[in-house]
Amino acid sequence: MKPIRIAVTKGRLEKGTIALFDKMGFDTAELVEKGRRLILPVYTPDKKAVEVVLAKAADVITYVNHGVCDLGIVGKDTIAEYGGGFYEVEDLGFGRCRFVLAAPDKTDFYAGYAAKTVATKYPNVSNSFFEGKGMDVRIIKVESAVELAPLLGLSDAIVDLVETGRTLKENGLKVVEDIMPVSARLIANIACMKLRKSEIEEFIQKVEENALAQ
Amino acid sequence: MRRNIRVAPDGTRDLLFEECTARRQVEAKLSRLFRLRGFSEAMTPGIEFYDLFDSGNPVIPAENMYKMTDIKGRLLVMRPDSTLPIARLVATRLKQAPLPIRLYYTQDVYYQNHGLSGRNDQRFQAGIELIGCAGDRADIEVIALAAEALKVCDAGDFRLEIGHAGFIMSLVKQLNVSLETKDLIKQYIEDRNHTALCGILDTVEYSETVNFLRNLPRLFGGEVVLEAAAPLCTDSSAREALEYLCMLYQKLGALGLSDHVIIDLGMAHKNEYYTGVIFRGFIEGSGDAVISGGRYDTLLMRFGVDLPATGFGVNVDSITKIMLSRGEVAPPPPPSLLVHAGSGFETKALKKAEELAQTGVCCEFSVFVSLDDAKDYAKKRRIPKILIVGSEDKEIELETGS
Repeated sequence: MKPIRIAVTKGRLEKGTIALFDKMGFDTAELVEKGRRLILPVYTPDKKAVEVVLAKAADVITYVNHGVCDLGIVGKDTIAEYGGGFYEVEDLGFGRCRFVLAAPDKTDFYAGYAAKTVATKYPNVSNSFFEGKGMDVRIIKVESAVELAPLLGLSDAIVDLVETGRTLKENGLKVVEDIMPVSARLIANIACMKLRKSEIEEFIQKVEENALAQ
Repeated sequence: MRRNIRVAPDGTRDLLFEECTARRQVEAKLSRLFRLRGFSEAMTPGIEFYDLFDSGNPVIPAENMYKMTDIKGRLLVMRPDSTLPIARLVATRLKQAPLPIRLYYTQDVYYQNHGLSGRNDQRFQAGIELIGCAGDRADIEVIALAAEALKVCDAGDFRLEIGHAGFIMSLVKQLNVSLETKDLIKQYIEDRNHTALCGILDTVEYSETVNFLRNLPRLFGGEVVLEAAAPLCTDSSAREALEYLCMLYQKLGALGLSDHVIIDLGMAHKNEYYTGVIFRGFIEGSGDAVISGGRYDTLLMRFGVDLPATGFGVNVDSITKIMLSRGEVAPPPPPSLLVHAGSGFETKALKKAEELAQTGVCCEFSVFVSLDDAKDYAKKRRIPKILIVGSEDKEIELETGS
């Protein structure tokens, strides 16, 4: 029987994932000492291997959607931006932050009738947020340092992920509105969930017990 | 301007050699199965009016259809689905036909994915529609036939997941919340998003139904699911759906399918035309469902005909891909003979090739003038023999080095 394969978001969610696996009693030595390998085995307490694939967030979704990975650990931010097609089975509780709409201090984003411009790395999240409000805004996609956009006069506001709010403050921005809370999620490919039901359910069950305890 | 002449459009590709063989094999197996079970073939146009697929609850989102206009400026789409065209066909041309009507199809459908997703925009589907009968006999037949379709394709281990479109609907209907919230609840159940589901249900006034809905994402599997759900499920129409599924499950078990059938009470097909039993098929090696189907009793009303119906479609491409990845499909063999004409004997050789082909020998006519060139070519193409046609015919064997 081939091992369960799980795609894990590199970087921000890596630590939390390792902590979760440790808590589940997994042997994560090879994941910690990963070197240059991209597929890494971790071992359950009963010595079964689980293959961990480290990938960028959006790729985690691609792998799970195509079923080349059975499970994935990815932020709600990425799910909200890149959409579904898989089961979102568990809120893992770590990697918490939130999507916010932020604008320069001392400005009123909602004032006036002129169409506003918003810079973001997350055009889909922004679009559906403003659509929900019945607002017609112009979205500009930028790749990094979104806070720069209003400072340079590129946009009236930004939609971005915020953890502590420090970067906003230091750049003279304030939160206008919270859009949605974000945290790491466990996702599952639909076909894999049906074909390997008992194995995957057992895994999810274990994740759930330990995620709740965090 | 750069001209796109060397590549096929996103989501499409050319098939070659064994890829064609595999596709044709799967297609032939499925057609044969459907024919032997009394279904007749229907072919519908590759382009249809947009209006056919545009209704209050869209079956296929408008942005996912390939669109164009006809000469009068009317909007056309490349067929995104075969069920609606067949429903149209039945409602117009088969109004007088004895019921039930059994039709099958094997044809492409087109679906515009977002760029570079690695998904096919052109998909080859085979499927059946059983129109003009309600009731459990038709449902069992169709689900069992779906299982049979996966078996004849030799697609390996499979699961058929069955659910009921009316189940969630009747539970959610009872909640005293806005339509938007209802849609969200359905969405979260479908996505198995337990966290979000609980979050939204916390805002709804407590009732037994709310409590039951909370557990719905976890309710899939074998008979235990039905047992677990029965006491929790107090609504009468939900109960009816549950009992119906229970009966189907037992009958499918009697057909030897209990290891393959999963009941999923949280299933709510995206296709809004389903009204009763819905099901999907999964096989090892495909991340998406390879079969999708169910009962759609109200669809033909759109065309002014009140006929209950059920059916399913098989994603032939997914099965083909698995056959190819297993390496079971050999590339087409080279011809067994190269027919080469000596100078002045071209017509005689051509006649000879015709005769041989008529007797079932696969032979290729040599277009080379010199025998050496013909030999050279035959070796490269791994044709084992050359027939030299002259005043007297002569055969030479070649070492093909295979």
